[in-house]
Amino acid sequence: MQQSTRPPEPKVHDITEKFTRACNALEVGQLVKDDLFTLFESIGALEIMDSKMDSGFLKPGETLEHDYDALNSILPEELVGIMDQLLCHEMAWHTGYPLSQTLFTSVYIDNLLWPEPKTLAQAQFYRGSIPDERRPGVLLEALRAYCLAVIKCCDYVIAKVTGRDYFEEEDFCTHTYNRVLFVQIPLDVFMRELDAAIENIESEPDLSEDVRSAIITRLQFRKDFLIALDPDCPLSQLESYWPPIRSNLQPIKDTQPLGKPVPSSFTTKIQRRLASTVPPRPIVEFEFKDAFEKLQQICTDCEQATNFVDLPSDPIEFQSFLWAYAGRKPAPLTYARSYLGTILFHPETLNTGMSLPLLDVKGLVYPLSPVTDQSNWALSPPRNPLMPKSPRLQLSLLVDEFIERASQPYLDFWTALGQNRCRLRRMMTHVIIGWDNLQADAGIVDEDINRVVDEMGIREQVLHDALTTWTYHKKLWMVERIVLLGFEQDIYLPDEYASMYNFLSIIASRRALVLSRISEHHAQRIASGIIDTSDPENVEYASHIESLQCEATALQDLSAAMAKLYTVLLYLRLVPVPKRPFSTEELRYELRMKPFLALQPPEVEPFAQHQALLQPFGPYERPNAAFAASMLDPKSGLWTDMEAALQNAKGRLQGMKKQGAAGAKASGAETAWKEEFKGLVESAVLFGVVIARLKGAVRKVEGSESGVAVDVKVEIPAIVVGTKCSDRWIVPTVSQKLK
Amino acid sequence: MSAIANDSDKQASSSGELQYIQYEGDKEETYLPAIRQLISKDLSEPYSIYVYRYFLYQWGDLCFMALDPLTNALIGVVVCKLETHRSGTFRGYIAMLAVQESHRGKGIATKLVCMAIDAMAARQADEIVLETEVTNTASMKLYERLGFLRSKRLHRYYLNGNTAFRLVLYLKAGTALKRPDMGDGAMGYGRYEGGDNAMFGAEAIA
Repeated sequence: MQQSTRPPEPKVHDITEKFTRACNALEVGQLVKDDLFTLFESIGALEIMDSKMDSGFLKPGETLEHDYDALNSILPEELVGIMDQLLCHEMAWHTGYPLSQTLFTSVYIDNLLWPEPKTLAQAQFYRGSIPDERRPGVLLEALRAYCLAVIKCCDYVIAKVTGRDYFEEEDFCTHTYNRVLFVQIPLDVFMRELDAAIENIESEPDLSEDVRSAIITRLQFRKDFLIALDPDCPLSQLESYWPPIRSNLQPIKDTQPLGKPVPSSFTTKIQRRLASTVPPRPIVEFEFKDAFEKLQQICTDCEQATNFVDLPSDPIEFQSFLWAYAGRKPAPLTYARSYLGTILFHPETLNTGMSLPLLDVKGLVYPLSPVTDQSNWALSPPRNPLMPKSPRLQLSLLVDEFIERASQPYLDFWTALGQNRCRLRRMMTHVIIGWDNLQADAGIVDEDINRVVDEMGIREQVLHDALTTWTYHKKLWMVERIVLLGFEQDIYLPDEYASMYNFLSIIASRRALVLSRISEHHAQRIASGIIDTSDPENVEYASHIESLQCEATALQDLSAAMAKLYTVLLYLRLVPVPKRPFSTEELRYELRMKPFLALQPPEVEPFAQHQALLQPFGPYERPNAAFAASMLDPKSGLWTDMEAALQNAKGRLQGMKKQGAAGAKASGAETAWKEEFKGLVESAVLFGVVIARLKGAVRKVEGSESGVAVDVKVEIPAIVVGTKCSDRWIVPTVSQKLK
Repeated sequence: MSAIANDSDKQASSSGELQYIQYEGDKEETYLPAIRQLISKDLSEPYSIYVYRYFLYQWGDLCFMALDPLTNALIGVVVCKLETHRSGTFRGYIAMLAVQESHRGKGIATKLVCMAIDAMAARQADEIVLETEVTNTASMKLYERLGFLRSKRLHRYYLNGNTAFRLVLYLKAGTALKRPDMGDGAMGYGRYEGGDNAMFGAEAIA
């Protein structure tokens, strides 16, 4: 090293005495805190010599470093065992635990990665030269090849996850603690190592056949898995990568009992060298059974994601697929979500003839419309900029302006659909604000389009305020989903169900209204002969609008009926109602409506109006006489409204069924669509039974607060999050009372 | 009348013998070790002393303790903070709540939380929030009885990988409409939208 580049010698100042003196001026417990010391920093602080916080703390007799020798020969069964232990750790990492508590606790992995090897040849369980008799044999070499591939798998996974929107620590831990996971080394190098290992194991004489085959299966699986994880896989071939992995999974599971785990080859002591500022944390114990399930799940989910490639180039098909994928049970892991996200945001997916948001707009409000006629985009502006532009050119420019404005909210919407289920709901409450702003801007462009259309004399051909209509429709769809996800995630308490189903019904009714405007306009165009009904685009459009209308109305009616039922249960005091000494109904309503208060439209109903609707017979604890009278009269509005709403919902569901997954533009997610549809139908049927039973069980009770009682036991089922899709529709159970 | 008095009679009689007091800064030597011990008992990873001091130094008057009148032993404690949140609300936060195992089920935690809420309400808090594990039904029941609602589900919120609910109690009308003064309404999708309350919620009450 050159003399001149040497850094200056550090100067050491002893401040002990100064510090001690300064401390004496303080009382115990008196804190000197500046504004920059945050809670986050206080949490990050560690106390030296506290064994739970100080990773360097040694118990009496404890050594700083582990004493596992990675060059000691291992049994063939131990090789199988270690491979499976590594798989368990890998899957634990996939579910969200950091590498420091999973794979990086392996001495083998650590030895390969640290000190950092300059070449793959240097990545050995040892560094430098060792005597020949210490050189690893065939089994350790096979383990090394396997470990190298595991590490490269992690590298690929991190690349894919960080390439998309994800939340560090919540979704996934990408931290590698300054270990470089062979980022620069290409796939084929790892393949060669694995192939060589397979060859050696095949020709190794002292192996029983079942163990030999168990080892080879694992090496082969690792090859296939690594290939499938390669981020540079061409889109068109994605689907070919997953089936071979699946074929190797069962043999791995079957041969797992042959393995002999080596727990001593994993140690938390390695954490001390990974990060000194983090408390020691236990190794995550993941059972093979659970790890295997996760592995299967990743493979199935990724394989499912590859179907996205074959979807029709229709943004609603995309939307249906994303929604269905997010709703898969068990929920797809972060890697699988990133995998789908990468396909969605791949240039090949996005490069469609017409931009995806424009296709979306066209598919709802501009079918076969002169506004979105392709030829409008072929027109050139006049050479003389002072000359007026042709109206059709103006239309294309206006539409382009709007689509450009819409692209960010649109992207945000899709990004939200790719998040974990909890985030999806919360992110959507932010996304709707963006769409609310977009709607205001859509109104401005709509005015211009209206003007041009009037100039052209084609007013009757074009839906008035189409862009506003489209934006509003999408926003309402999201608001509905936010509420439905709230039920699914057990956010609401039973005594809020009436109110939340009522809100859902209001939102769905708004959307149904929007759709009926669209459909009326479409009918007029057909009536005046502007549209040829046999045009395939028209056939597809008509089916889609019908499907949407049925769905929105079914949602509106079913939730209205639910709201009415839960209102009755509140009056009957059959819903648990907490005392809530610190809260009022009005404050709780405000809190619940918070995500929607900024929207214009739909404006949230004022509390008084909301309360009047939800408490038609006065306060729940003291209903007026009309309640008992209505309850006892099977022909009263209380019952007939509920029954009519349910009946309507059932009819609309039939309408939805008729249009099928294709009409809903969910043909790429048909199974999930059918499943969700089935859940809706089942809920509606169950619900009908509940109404009938309840109605038949009412009797008069003189002197009681409500004046009536029901001779049945009513239970509101607890929501078990992540179980089935109809858990958004919480139908109470009604059973005979035990005498 | 304070809300505590409205609460069930059962706890008033059974916990009546305990002494409920407010923490004060000069009591650190007397109480902090016991507070730490009580709270860290149920934590896989203990908070450093700075976490406790962070709260107690700034909001000692929002910390309440239940003491055994004979031995002065700490039976229960609640630790809070109250400050302007970046959403613009004056937000109270219940950071820690713990009651000794042998004394649970007697309404001590409820009483401590009620005292904290009363104190924060007296200081014009707009809202009070906290997180609790989705599986901690006793804790959720306690808060929901008082008026809290679940506002968010937080995936893998805790270090152990468990999911949390954020619970919220509005104390004033108009809280939902409050906006930040500085105009930096950065509604980012941060890890902790609720603020900087990383992984809190020592809810050792049941």
